[in-house]
Amino acid sequence: MNDTVVPGRGDKGLLRNRVVEVENLTIRFGDFTAVDGVSFSVRKGEIFGFLGANGAGKTTTIRMLCGLLAPTSGVVRVGGLDFDDGGNGIKSIVGYMSQKFTLYDDLTVGENLDFAAGLRKLPAAAAEKRRAELFGMTGFDRPLTAKVSDLPGGIKQELALAAAMLHDPEIVFLDEPTSGVSPAARARFWGLIRRITAVGKTVIVTTHYMDEAEQCGRIALMRAGRIIALGSPDELKDSAFPGPMAEVDFQGSDPAAPIERLRKAPGLLALSPHGMRWHAAFSEGALMDAALSALPVSVRVRKIKPSLEDVFIRLAGGAQ
Amino acid sequence: MGITLRAFIRKELVQTLRDTRRRVLLFGAPVIQLTIFGLALSTEIKNIRLAVFSRPDDAMFLRLAERFYASGWFVPAVRGPGDDPMELIASGGADAALIAPAEGLRRSAERGSGKMQLLVDASNASKARAVEAYSKSVISEAALREYGTPLRTPVRFDVRVLYNPAMRSSLYLVPGVMGMLVCLITIILTAMSLAREREVGTFETIVSAPLSDLEVLLGKTVPYVILGLLDAALVVGAGYMIFGVPVRGPLWQLALASMVFVVATVAIGTFVSTVSRNQQQAMLGGFIFLFPAMLMSGIMYPVENMPGAMIAAAYLDPLMYFVRLLRNIMLKGGAPGVFWTDVGAMALMALASAGLAYRRFRRTLN
Repeated sequence: MNDTVVPGRGDKGLLRNRVVEVENLTIRFGDFTAVDGVSFSVRKGEIFGFLGANGAGKTTTIRMLCGLLAPTSGVVRVGGLDFDDGGNGIKSIVGYMSQKFTLYDDLTVGENLDFAAGLRKLPAAAAEKRRAELFGMTGFDRPLTAKVSDLPGGIKQELALAAAMLHDPEIVFLDEPTSGVSPAARARFWGLIRRITAVGKTVIVTTHYMDEAEQCGRIALMRAGRIIALGSPDELKDSAFPGPMAEVDFQGSDPAAPIERLRKAPGLLALSPHGMRWHAAFSEGALMDAALSALPVSVRVRKIKPSLEDVFIRLAGGAQ
Repeated sequence: MGITLRAFIRKELVQTLRDTRRRVLLFGAPVIQLTIFGLALSTEIKNIRLAVFSRPDDAMFLRLAERFYASGWFVPAVRGPGDDPMELIASGGADAALIAPAEGLRRSAERGSGKMQLLVDASNASKARAVEAYSKSVISEAALREYGTPLRTPVRFDVRVLYNPAMRSSLYLVPGVMGMLVCLITIILTAMSLAREREVGTFETIVSAPLSDLEVLLGKTVPYVILGLLDAALVVGAGYMIFGVPVRGPLWQLALASMVFVVATVAIGTFVSTVSRNQQQAMLGGFIFLFPAMLMSGIMYPVENMPGAMIAAAYLDPLMYFVRLLRNIMLKGGAPGVFWTDVGAMALMALASAGLAYRRFRRTLN
């Protein structure tokens, strides 16, 4: 069973390169449908991101793809393997870094990696060789005898990634790997993710941060258990905002009345506050120019490119 | 299997032994509790405060009173000159009062009756029974010494107390306390360790590895069987050094009985963890099992004294068998017949609880 390969969007070469294929994936917990008919595929070497609010179904989807949860219905193929063996086949070829603690705070760096190696049944010599490789790649330079509780958050996450990749998995799942980590450490961690995919491994990552989502090859936007948009950051922006966008800065003057008028302007697609400023998207440039020229002279207007945050607000936030 | 199990054992032992609180729970608490329980849980009643009331010239009575105090069971109660015996007991100033006949003990005895009054505070019934028994023995001893005639009893016992000739209650209680401590520590440590991993989230990493359910279960329990056995050995050693409780039976019996018991308690701890959402619940769940198990184990109250339904429940209490086994092995030298039936019963229970724990555990994994 489960030989239903998704008929091709894209050419044959791409089809063969799909390391993750998901078709109509659904999981229910009692009456609650946590993931509802989700379909997508991930190419080898891709950074694939899940973006969505808490409870949108990102973690549940990832846990099914890691072989931790049996789907209620639908097809999951990870590295060509399915869930028929209870998930152990999938577990052996993927690495998973959950959003909770994955390291033991009371153990040292070495003890944590030894335990991770033991879980994967790696012989001591192989584990040591692999550890050296991973330390080389991540630039991890703390002593093996350092206690994990003494490491800063960013270093801990790098170590957790190394532990999740000790068995050299082809596909790595990272569930909010950078939450609670300093911006500099986040940038470092994303450098690591790019290095992992550069050697042909596939990374599937969930995040709350828009700047991180921008760095993904493709993003699946999730809301209430469904994928509501899927594509590269640029594709998502283009489809959500086919026309131009402007940033409107009232510079301290009362925005209430002009905003009310702007809301009724013909051709307006979206209007949302961003801090002290507002973003207004229109279907056509001419309609935008007309609407903006009607604003008071004290208002400063600037044409901008939509960000993923705009996309997220338009697709996920608006209709809630 | 080998590599994974070894990794689990190393990890759990390092974690347990590195953490000060768990180290104290494992090694400090048993020794301290064994000492406290062994000393405090004495069924012998000593230092009974006895007040005597007589005419100052009643020489015979006063000699008898001296015998009471010399027995080691009684101490003189502190009292003022005008105290009334009843008041003294009511106020808690004395546990018992011995009152001479008004005419003097000698004259009363010569008339053939020799009646004295003994007032006993029976608000503590076991103490009261002890006072009665001790008083009788002091008086019959006195009768024998003073007149060469025992008190009139048609039958005399030639009592020989076996296994514990000095009737030291510590000898009887310490094995019970040992069983209780091993039970407590293995259940709590196992349940807490599993609950901690779930609570913190590290359990997710364990289950994301391609392991069978059995491998995960063994990995999380075998280390605690090892720690439980270490603890059993420690408690037996401490019992010997502090209270001189011997091990008269073969050591392999002790090891086998401990092994089977620890497997049962670790399985119970695992079961408790599967119905607990966090460490506090695991701790409470452990105690919900522990209290009845201790009360029905016969450590403090003989199982035979319980009502019928409770006796039936006691026979389902692994601690009851373990305590009986410990007393059998340590004091009686481990009579093989009783040993094998008790070990067998305990093994059945270990098997049943391990099976139940495995089923629950699998359910919580998936």
